[in-house]
Amino acid sequence: MTAEKVEQNPEIIGFACSYCTFKASEMAGSLRMKYPEGVKLIQVPCSSRVDPAFIIKAIMDGADGVFVAGCHPGDCHFIKGNYFTRRKVAALKEMFDAFGMKERLRLFWVSAAEARRFVDKVTAMYNEIKELKNAGKTG
Amino acid sequence: MRGKRVSSASIAQGLNRFLEDDRHLLLAFEKDARGVNLRAFKGKVEGLSLFNPVFSSNSALYVRRMFAKGTEIVLMLRPCEIRAYVELQKLSQMEREGIVAVSVDCFGAVSSKDEATEAPREAQAEKGLFRDFTHGRFACMTCRERRGVVGDAGVRVDKEGGLWLCPYTEKGEGFASLFEGETGETEAEMLPEGASPPEAEQFNTDMAAFSQDFSKCILCKNCKAMCPVCYCVDCLFNGDDYLPKGDALLNKVLRAGSTDLPQGKELFHLIRMFHVSQTCVGCGACEEACPQGIPLTRYFKGISERLQGLFSYLPGRSLDETLPYVTFLEEELKDAED
Repeated sequence: MTAEKVEQNPEIIGFACSYCTFKASEMAGSLRMKYPEGVKLIQVPCSSRVDPAFIIKAIMDGADGVFVAGCHPGDCHFIKGNYFTRRKVAALKEMFDAFGMKERLRLFWVSAAEARRFVDKVTAMYNEIKELKNAGKTG
Repeated sequence: MRGKRVSSASIAQGLNRFLEDDRHLLLAFEKDARGVNLRAFKGKVEGLSLFNPVFSSNSALYVRRMFAKGTEIVLMLRPCEIRAYVELQKLSQMEREGIVAVSVDCFGAVSSKDEATEAPREAQAEKGLFRDFTHGRFACMTCRERRGVVGDAGVRVDKEGGLWLCPYTEKGEGFASLFEGETGETEAEMLPEGASPPEAEQFNTDMAAFSQDFSKCILCKNCKAMCPVCYCVDCLFNGDDYLPKGDALLNKVLRAGSTDLPQGKELFHLIRMFHVSQTCVGCGACEEACPQGIPLTRYFKGISERLQGLFSYLPGRSLDETLPYVTFLEEELKDAED
């Protein structure tokens, strides 16, 4: 109808560990840092709580990108949860790679103090996914 | 490899001796007028067939959740079935002590669905089958381990067609002592070729091709039911959370807009693909069970080989290897992080 193409905004689902990344996002809020509103965080007790099924479901139900964020390796509240996350997400990335949608899944390590890092990572991901979406590369 | 030279007759004799105890059972293939079928033998063994030229289901499925104490069960099955059994052992899905797993060299099989081909119903004729194997199943053609080198013991076939019984564990030694035959050193090269390395070219596809292939899916979940390593009692796909039906489906459509039906074909297969990724032995039982003829093996095997390659894991190779998702190294996968 309109000749001008409307720019689409992506929806990004983030699974955030309640001990670090979620705290970082709250800190980013209290410091009045801005991150894109298309990023929806889901608080999980540990990043290893994220069954890859959640990620696949999010993607198949319309999310343009998904990220899993947890504490830096070695800093897990549950001692070793994020090492399991790393294995699972690495394997899922390999699987997404086979289906040609590797860029839609990210894994971040963000500690509770790194509000700036959280905002940077999330904004960078949002912008990349937005570009892909507007180029028609994602579903 | 150390082994015992045996014959079909001495195997049957030894097994009969084993089955004299009425707490002893044997799960193996039987040949009769109907063809070759899986059978649980009790008391005595008749018409035993070491090989089965037709694949219908993975027999490890039938020993899943077998926790009875006090019985001794011998499995004489294909390598892919024994590998699935080893994976199920790792997942604590069955009794560990009472089961002796014997893998028998495999020469590939034809699909039980494939009625057009002249499936060689004669088990003996199978020895030469793999050489000119044009009607084989996709899973068998791309098999990575068709030698009987997994489990507690193996029945190997040498280049002249002679049979060898090779024990690999203590349980296997005990089992081998049932049979008469002279002990000797087997040749390094037996009739089936060695383990083939993973495909040089990694499996790659895209969502469009995947959607196309799986558009025929009717979500009967037969693939899930017949998969030997898809073992969860309380499956994720029970209930309305992942595959909504009825009111849940109505609500979803009202909320999220129009959708393909049955809802969640791709979701179901992608999640199952990931969940079995490390334990998938690539037997192709899912494809065998699919009423719609979807090329499931191509996807499941391709994906699982890639994901297993990440951790250099071959499912069913050994009971001592830990499943990759329940262990980790502190220094690894540095490039996984973004």
